[in-house]
Amino acid sequence: MKLYITENGAKGANTVVPDDMILTKTMPTSAGSKMLEGYQGLFDAEVITRLTNAGYEIGGKVNVGEFSIDLLGESSYFGACTDENGVLTSAAAEVLKTGDIKAVVAMDVNGMPRRAAALSGMVYIKPTYGTVSRYGTIPVACSGETVGVMARNTADCREILAAMAGHDDKDGTSLSEEQCAAVKTAGAPIKKVAVLQSLVNAADADTQARITAVCDALKAQGVEICTVDDDVCKAASPAWNVLLSAELCNNVSRYDGIKFGYRTPNYTNIDELYTNSRTEAFGLLLKTAILYGSDALSTENYMNVYDKALRIRRVICEAFAALFAQYDALLLPACSKTAYKTEEVGTYTAVEEALFTAPASISGLPVVAAGGVQLMGKAFSDDSLLTLAALYE
Amino acid sequence: MMTTETLQRLEKLNQLCLTDAEKDTITAFFNQQADVFLALNQINTENTERMVHVMPILTVVREDREIKLFTRDELQESAPETYDGYWQVPRLIE
Repeated sequence: MKLYITENGAKGANTVVPDDMILTKTMPTSAGSKMLEGYQGLFDAEVITRLTNAGYEIGGKVNVGEFSIDLLGESSYFGACTDENGVLTSAAAEVLKTGDIKAVVAMDVNGMPRRAAALSGMVYIKPTYGTVSRYGTIPVACSGETVGVMARNTADCREILAAMAGHDDKDGTSLSEEQCAAVKTAGAPIKKVAVLQSLVNAADADTQARITAVCDALKAQGVEICTVDDDVCKAASPAWNVLLSAELCNNVSRYDGIKFGYRTPNYTNIDELYTNSRTEAFGLLLKTAILYGSDALSTENYMNVYDKALRIRRVICEAFAALFAQYDALLLPACSKTAYKTEEVGTYTAVEEALFTAPASISGLPVVAAGGVQLMGKAFSDDSLLTLAALYE
Repeated sequence: MMTTETLQRLEKLNQLCLTDAEKDTITAFFNQQADVFLALNQINTENTERMVHVMPILTVVREDREIKLFTRDELQESAPETYDGYWQVPRLIE
C-alpha cells in the first residue's frame, strides 16, 4: 500500500496535499502510471500556485489509480490501498484519516474521489466545471474532469475551494472571474431536495439505508424531500464512458517514449519503440479505454457512437435543468455498495460504478459527496451544497 | 460485435500490442458496452444539437503575446534519450 508518491514532511492544519494528477515543480507527477514514473513537471499547476500564494504548504503527492479513471486507485502502478480487512480504500482518504493535513486536492476524472469520500466518511466537492483551473493537470477527459477538494468536513472543503477557484487565462475552459466568484460566496439555502430514485434502486440495501438516513436528517432540519424517477440519468454512464474514452485516447497519444515518460529497452526500430513503450507502460483498463475511445472516433462509429454521446449529453443537461427548475438539489448514491473487497473489484468495476458519478461528470454540475451520498446542484450552487451537507455531516 | 480484424486495426492505430488474454477481456468489454450503448438509441436525439462544452466558454481567444516559458535544456530534462540538444530516436531509414 503506497499512500504517498512523494512526501516532504510538511504536516499540520496549513498543509494541503495534491493527488498524483496535479503537476508540481518540486515533486514528480506520475498519474499512477509506469509511463510517467518519476516524471518531473517543469511548472506548478495553477491550483498549486494559488494555494501556495494563499499561504498553504504542499505536503507531498498522494497515489491515484492509473490516470485516475478507476474505482478507488486499484490500478495504480505503485499499488492499491487496502485496509487490514482487505477492503479497498483510497490513498487520499487514508492520508486524511491520519489528521496530519488539512485537505487533499484531487482530480475528479471518473468519480474516484467522490466514491473515496463516500466510502470513508470524508467530504469531497467537485466544483462547477470551469471555476477551478485545470492548467498543469494531467489531461484525460478534458470536457468533464474537474479539480476538487477532499477534506474531513465541509468547512475545510469550502476554505480550500475558495483559495483555488478563479479565472485563469491559461485554461481555455476557465469561466469569468464573476462566475468563479459565485462558488466562493454564500449561496441561497437549499429547501427542496429530490431523490433520484432510479439510481437509488440500483444500489444495495446498505447504500439505500444511507440515503434514507440522510433524507431523515435533512427533513429534521426542515428540508423538503421529494422523489423523482428520471431514467434519463441512467444514460449518463454509457455516454460519459464514450466521451471519456475518446478524449483519453487523444490525450494519452502523447506518451510514445520519445520526449518524456517511459521508453522500452526492447526495440530495434521506431515502431517497436512506440508500441513496446506504450504496451509495457499502460495497464489493462487504460488500454481498454484507449481502444474503446479510438473505436468510437472511427469513421464507422463516429456518428452512431461519439456524436450520439454528445447529443445525449445535451439531453441529460436539459433534463437536469428541468429538475432544477423544481428542486434546489438532487440526492443520489455515490456508488452501489458501502465497501469493496479487493477480490470483488474487476478491471471494469469503475465503468459499472460510473452509473452514479457520470451524471455530474457529463454535465459539469457541482456535486458534494458527504455522509456516503452525493448532493448535486445547478451550476454555481457549490456553496449551497456544502451548507446542505453540513446539516447532516 | 468486435471482430479480430477490428481489434487488430485498433491495436495498430494506437500503437499497442495486446496479449491473447487481454484481447479476450477487451473483446468481451466491447461487446458488453455495445449492448449498453444500444439502449441509448431509444433516446431520440434527431433534433438535439451536440454538446461539446458544458459551460459557455468565454475565453477561447486571448491576446497573442510571446512568452518564453522553458529552455530546450529544461524541456529535455525528462527525455529518455537526447544527443547534442536533440531528442534521440532509433534510425528511421534502413
